[in-house]
Amino acid sequence: ESRMKPPVTVLRLPRGPEPNNEEEEQQMRSKMREQFLRVLLLMAHKRVDIELHGKLRMRAQFGTSDIDVLNFQVSDLETPLGVQKEALLRCNDLISCSFEL
Amino acid sequence: MSVWSELGPRQWHEFVNKEVCVTARDQHSYTGHVFTVDPVSASVVLVSPAGPERPSVTMVLGHAVQEVQVLSAGTEEALSCMKHLFTPGHTATFSAEELGARRESLCAWLQKNRVPVHEEGEMLRVADTLTINAPYGPGDCTCNNEIILARVQSLIQSHSTHDLEK
Repeated sequence: ESRMKPPVTVLRLPRGPEPNNEEEEQQMRSKMREQFLRVLLLMAHKRVDIELHGKLRMRAQFGTSDIDVLNFQVSDLETPLGVQKEALLRCNDLISCSFEL
Repeated sequence: MSVWSELGPRQWHEFVNKEVCVTARDQHSYTGHVFTVDPVSASVVLVSPAGPERPSVTMVLGHAVQEVQVLSAGTEEALSCMKHLFTPGHTATFSAEELGARRESLCAWLQKNRVPVHEEGEMLRVADTLTINAPYGPGDCTCNNEIILARVQSLIQSHSTHDLEK
């Protein structure tokens, strides 16, 4: 016996998120990260002014950062207690890092 | 503003090239043009407006950022200043002859160190996985393999110091 099934109501949904959403966001992410890595390259071997908590400032020669920007490797760190030849600074302790071009 | 470090790439990207004032912890305040925001740490890189002083670059760590306020869309002067500073193309400082000499010199050095390298036009190709572009410095390598990349970069580095000692 062939019987047509009753038609199913079609529910119209609002337009969903753009299908390219993910890709666009990912491109922004990689472009901005690439630019940031270039900054790190530019900063290498330069004297930097570092600001920490409580208005504490130090100067050092910037070496490099780890991949997650959790630690900075520096040399000749001028601290209130003298110059530290090599040091690892925790980025969580830093507020800013500046250098001149 | 909700927590800066939680905004995400789309919103951070909105600030790029704008002139902003960043307020950070301990009442620190920084003004400049946003060059980039690191999506990993949400750190903001500001370039000070180009003026009589030498331009300076400030990196404000993402975790310390409390607020970023847009001051203006960013002057043409500042934008071209930033573009100029960070463009990877610094081959303008070497002539074509100098670049050729650098390329050959580096190629010989790598071969001396048993690295399988050959010239491919203006590039140096290493083992079909790494490429070195002009001006053949450690930062001009492209490679998917971190280990090979590190090895070659270290060799290029020792080549330039080797040259200086001559």
